[in-house]
Amino acid sequence: MFLAAFSPKDDRAASLDAALVRLLLQNDVGAFEKLYDKYSRIVYSLVLRIVQQSGPAEEVVQDVFLQLWRNSAQYDAARGPFVPWLLTLARNRALDTLRLKSERQRRLENQTDELFSVVVAPQYEKELDEKRRAERVRTLVGELNPQQKRAIELAYFQGLSHSEIAAELKEPLGTIKSWIRNGLIRLKEGLRTAS
Amino acid sequence: MSNCDQFREMYEAYALGALDPPERVALEAHLATGCAECAKAVAEARWLVAQLAYLAPEASTSETLKGRLMQTVRSEAKSKSSSPVATASTMTPSGIPYWLSAGIAALLLLTFYFAWDAHHLKQELRAANERNQQNEQMIASTQNQGAASQQELTAMQEQMAKMRRENAILTDPASVKITLAAQKIQAPQMVAMWHAKYGIVLTGQKVPMPSSNRVLQLWLIPKTPGGKPIPSVTVRPDVNGNFVILVSNPPGASKDTKALAITEEPAGGSAAPTTTPKWVGAMS
Repeated sequence: MFLAAFSPKDDRAASLDAALVRLLLQNDVGAFEKLYDKYSRIVYSLVLRIVQQSGPAEEVVQDVFLQLWRNSAQYDAARGPFVPWLLTLARNRALDTLRLKSERQRRLENQTDELFSVVVAPQYEKELDEKRRAERVRTLVGELNPQQKRAIELAYFQGLSHSEIAAELKEPLGTIKSWIRNGLIRLKEGLRTAS
Repeated sequence: MSNCDQFREMYEAYALGALDPPERVALEAHLATGCAECAKAVAEARWLVAQLAYLAPEASTSETLKGRLMQTVRSEAKSKSSSPVATASTMTPSGIPYWLSAGIAALLLLTFYFAWDAHHLKQELRAANERNQQNEQMIASTQNQGAASQQELTAMQEQMAKMRRENAILTDPASVKITLAAQKIQAPQMVAMWHAKYGIVLTGQKVPMPSSNRVLQLWLIPKTPGGKPIPSVTVRPDVNGNFVILVSNPPGASKDTKALAITEEPAGGSAAPTTTPKWVGAMS
């Protein structure tokens, strides 16, 4: 279920998610429960990784799903797949709870609306088996230089900026930028190759 | 070098939220120009970044979380389904726009705040919120028909936004209720609901009218020892002594506030209290 939750393996699954979200507009509790059962585990896993404590993590998960329930109209299926949208929401809420420095928090909040707007899955995403993709992501990131992997994790799970990561890892700013970009490019190319 | 070239190395970091402010601002300004190429690249980068969720170790939520969540959702669904059905017209038979009618309904509900059970009130406000959403659709319809001026529509939308915020504050379980008791005067208590994100809604009923050219002013009393009261909004009750006021951006955080207080001040308010508080409520 964890793997299945991350990304729809085909258009039919994506359409089902979109249909369930549309039903939320009609206050369909059953549709909400289906979405919760399907995605709460990945959302919780992500949030727990960020906030590190089960109590606050459950609060964030509750907040995320209540926002989905109360504001499902914010999601527009025409603009991208549902799961990355949900995970983006969960990540931002989790990072908020870390009580990040004001500037960092502002930056994420400023991006929130934009992040919600469009998430486009490249064509090869639909052609890659979910389980293989999950394993591939872990493998590809695991193959990176440990410091490079650490830089990406600091950005993704702690919401740090380039300069903050440079200070944390005591590496030049340019090195951090290269590590993160090259790491993500490698991940993208690896996923493309795997498809 | 095309204008886009300077941004190509930023897409992934932007999606990750890792760009430092100068670069982020530059890229966002470029995206705001409507560059389709960069917008598509950023959108794909967001998808790529979302893949990183796989790196989180698998974990499962507790059953109690699902139970709590489903209880809330079922309760809200029931509340929504019992709200009145909207009519097709944007005007009531008396000629009052429905958005205003909904606002009046919400305010009337608030006047009963002290007499009503809080839970019941919250349910009603959720219903009012649902009607607001339906009214928003009517506004959109009206806009399409060109039946109202742009200024009217803007005013309606602003009013709707204010009502949505008030309803959110009054209904969200995260809001903190503060009861302000009258100090040395015969007057009903006031009630404030404070939501860390959405602000404060302060309500009063049958409040003694301040003398002419004077107003009631809200103060935040900081927890810091010796901290000076922080001035907030001013209000004059209506002829019946009732008011509902929204403080969208409180001048202090709830976590740093010890109490709320109300004083009587000259019209326009004061920078520091000039009278002793008439109502005071400690943060719970």
